[in-house]
Amino acid sequence: MDLSFFIYLSSGLFLGWSLGANDAANIFGTAVGTKMVRFKTAAVISSIFVILGAVYAGSGASQTLGELGSINTIAGAFMSALAAAVTIYWMVHLAIPISTSQAIVGAIIGWNFYAGKPTDYAILSQIVSTWVICPALSGLLAVTLYATIKFILRKSHIHILRQDCYTRIGLILAGAFGAYALGANNIANVMGVFIDSSPIKGFELPNGFGLNAAQVLFLIGGISISLGIFTYSGKVINTIGNNLMKMSPMIAWIVVVSQALVLFLFASQGLKNLLQEHGLPSLPLVPVSSSQAVIGAILGIGLAKGGKNVHWGIIGKIAIGWITTPIIAALFCYISLFFLQNVFNQVVYLP
Amino acid sequence: MFHISVSLFAQTRTLENKIDLFHDKLLDISMTFKKVIQIYLSEGRSNDFRKTSKQIKQIEHDADNLRREIENRLYTQNLIPDLRADVLHLVENLDKVINKFDEVTYKFFIERPEIPQEYHSRIFELCDLTASCAENMAKASRAFFRDLSSVRDYSQKVYFIEHESDLSSGRLRENIFDSDLPLANKIQISNFINEIADIADIAEDFIDELLIFTIKRDI
Repeated sequence: MDLSFFIYLSSGLFLGWSLGANDAANIFGTAVGTKMVRFKTAAVISSIFVILGAVYAGSGASQTLGELGSINTIAGAFMSALAAAVTIYWMVHLAIPISTSQAIVGAIIGWNFYAGKPTDYAILSQIVSTWVICPALSGLLAVTLYATIKFILRKSHIHILRQDCYTRIGLILAGAFGAYALGANNIANVMGVFIDSSPIKGFELPNGFGLNAAQVLFLIGGISISLGIFTYSGKVINTIGNNLMKMSPMIAWIVVVSQALVLFLFASQGLKNLLQEHGLPSLPLVPVSSSQAVIGAILGIGLAKGGKNVHWGIIGKIAIGWITTPIIAALFCYISLFFLQNVFNQVVYLP
Repeated sequence: MFHISVSLFAQTRTLENKIDLFHDKLLDISMTFKKVIQIYLSEGRSNDFRKTSKQIKQIEHDADNLRREIENRLYTQNLIPDLRADVLHLVENLDKVINKFDEVTYKFFIERPEIPQEYHSRIFELCDLTASCAENMAKASRAFFRDLSSVRDYSQKVYFIEHESDLSSGRLRENIFDSDLPLANKIQISNFINEIADIADIAEDFIDELLIFTIKRDI
């Protein structure tokens, strides 16, 4: 394995860093913003759990992306990740809440077109359907949780101080679960495109502990997400804070739990197997957007509260993201692959 | 983690007790106020009156200490960060009512107003109304911390009793100024009536704010 691999991997690592910087704000943003949890505590917990989630539960969603397009050279993977990263940067600049998954899917399709490989439209439609299901499901879960918590609080007569105590612990646990689910679900966006072309090997220690090749790659990606959390998410939390809706710590807890559950549902192979064994409908294992899950949850709670403070415009923005993000990423990837191949003489695909 | 949780729960329990004690002080002072006025009306500035006045002073002093402790703990332990300002405001305003009870009692002690016998029962009725207003205010405030659905019930009682106290104090002052008492005496008694009725007004203002805070506190 030479140094050039890490240069190529840099676009994926950058994608991981930006994911950590942005999406950690979805998990611990309100908790830190409302001073319920200290930033350091949040950063340490989310870093540990995002890596655990990525390494131990990241394979399911990655497999689905692999089925969409198996990028078989490292230069092609580099450009796909870079195209996704640039698209994300641009869309974030336009204040459109997009999904890293949408960008990476667009980039993979761009590579498929350039390489002349067929795109599995059954897989594609399955992935696209999750973009709609994700915020809707998150909203539904949030409404259910909101009604349940409200009922419990009304009946239990818990003192405001004790409620604060429980909420603090709940926010930390939900944040840990949210980080685990984020790592499990979104590592596919960061490292998925590199799996087929990575020269990294797995290892096994004498005590039996070991990681396969993909898990090592996920570990590197997880560390890059952690770096994003430590170096930049604090700034994102301070800047964005409660922009979308001023949330009480309890609502923040509901939003984080709903988001984490949705991400977990779309990432857990174990859960999928369990549901299938019992003949229940299961969800495809696909990387989904934590930002859109958060927006879905907030809209759900807004509706449950009577819908007066709901900003319906945000749904339009999400819909714009569904269409424009993959198209822009695909176009950017296609054009960049042309330059990478013809100007820089890199092999961007193997026939 | 376990240690942190245990200490957090222990701190929380201590503060919960202090907030409960603070509300108890308000209930104590309102009942003692009724007692002290009754003593004054029947005995004037007797030893018994002095003793009961001292009790009021002591309750007020204890309440002040509790208020300071609650405020300090809320800030130093960084508890309920989103509602802390509201809770501090509530505690300060509850303390205002406690202070007012003490202030009125002290005024009786200093000024020794001469109240004709025929007004005694109505003055006591007014004191009873304001004390009842303060008691329901304390119950509403306590409910804010534990049982939001009851806040409205107690608040409604405060509004009703405050209105009754307004009517009662208005009629009483009218009767006093219609009487043959010397003007200085009329003005003095009227001021006392105003001071007593003020307690119910402060309680009403408190409830107005409490209801807003209740909406904010509801998830």
